[in-house]
Amino acid sequence: MIDGLVRILVFQGIGEVIAKFVVPLVPGPVIGLMLLLAYLAWRGAVPEGVELVSAGFMRYLGVLFVPAAVGVVLFWPHLQRQALAIAIALVGSVVATVAVAALAAKLLSRSGSDAP
Amino acid sequence: MRPDLPAIHEIWVYLSGSPLLALILTLAAYQIGVVIYERTQLNPLANPVLIAVTLIALALAALDMPYATYFEGAQFVHFLLGTATVSLAVPIYKGLLSLRGRLLPLTAALLGGGATSIVSAVLLARLLGADETIVGGLYAKSLTAPIAMGVAERIDASPTLTAVFTVTTGILGAALGRFVLDAVRCREWWQRGFAIGVAAHGIGTSRAFSVHPEAGAYAGLAMGLHGVIGAIVIPWAISALR
Repeated sequence: MIDGLVRILVFQGIGEVIAKFVVPLVPGPVIGLMLLLAYLAWRGAVPEGVELVSAGFMRYLGVLFVPAAVGVVLFWPHLQRQALAIAIALVGSVVATVAVAALAAKLLSRSGSDAP
Repeated sequence: MRPDLPAIHEIWVYLSGSPLLALILTLAAYQIGVVIYERTQLNPLANPVLIAVTLIALALAALDMPYATYFEGAQFVHFLLGTATVSLAVPIYKGLLSLRGRLLPLTAALLGGGATSIVSAVLLARLLGADETIVGGLYAKSLTAPIAMGVAERIDASPTLTAVFTVTTGILGAALGRFVLDAVRCREWWQRGFAIGVAAHGIGTSRAFSVHPEAGAYAGLAMGLHGVIGAIVIPWAISALR
């Protein structure tokens, strides 16, 4: 497991350095993600340690963003004043997103399957 | 009472100065959230993050502890977000192996859905008079939370508001997605799952997994790809428009 964690941390480190000095617009961990993805594709398999660490993170992903989300207490009065606008924007947007994504997948796969 | 025993308030002063209290609070509140979530048969409205945030906010108010003090301790959990983001490569890699010639419809769903999520949220919020702080928090809200917060930092938006809107979006997508998919007559599990993953990231994905394994796998793939592409495109597009 430690070997998996080391590999993931090394990719994160490389990603952070590239983000800092080369492409400041992309978050470092996302560059690390792409490098790890390239590494997995090059190896053609997921090393056991990496698999183990990743499964652990995926299982408990939720708890990791709790500390930042608790910061909502700082914005509380602000959010209350604009609650209606926020609620409508969030609900409207998620409904529209699901509908567009589903229709795009459905229509294009139908035309794709008609083709020879 | 023996005079050499410390008074309760001394113990309290000692504990609140150490990161331990914030860590215990964070993990215990999340654990309570998980128990409630499981007791309600994984109802998306009983989301463990939502429950944990509510409990901690109430605890901070009761203890009169400023958020900054709490975060000083909880930052050890927060730090792992970046590492978790990197390890998203594993589910993406596995998902890409199972694409099986569905590249075109899935790319269209991803790009169409991603653009719709930003444009509709920003337009609606502006139309209804939300200020720019709020609007800034909406840009990355359909990305998976760890990536969304990284993107928020890059576009000078609040990572906190982004996290809150992201979690809310996930809950809404998981709760409402089924009805929208039925309304547009989308019946294939892989399409249903992918659409939910594009719109409602991790929370939608766990919902999709609880309905059908194929829907879950495609939702996870959508979440990962949307995260990566959003992290590249959103900061670039916003800095180009400014």
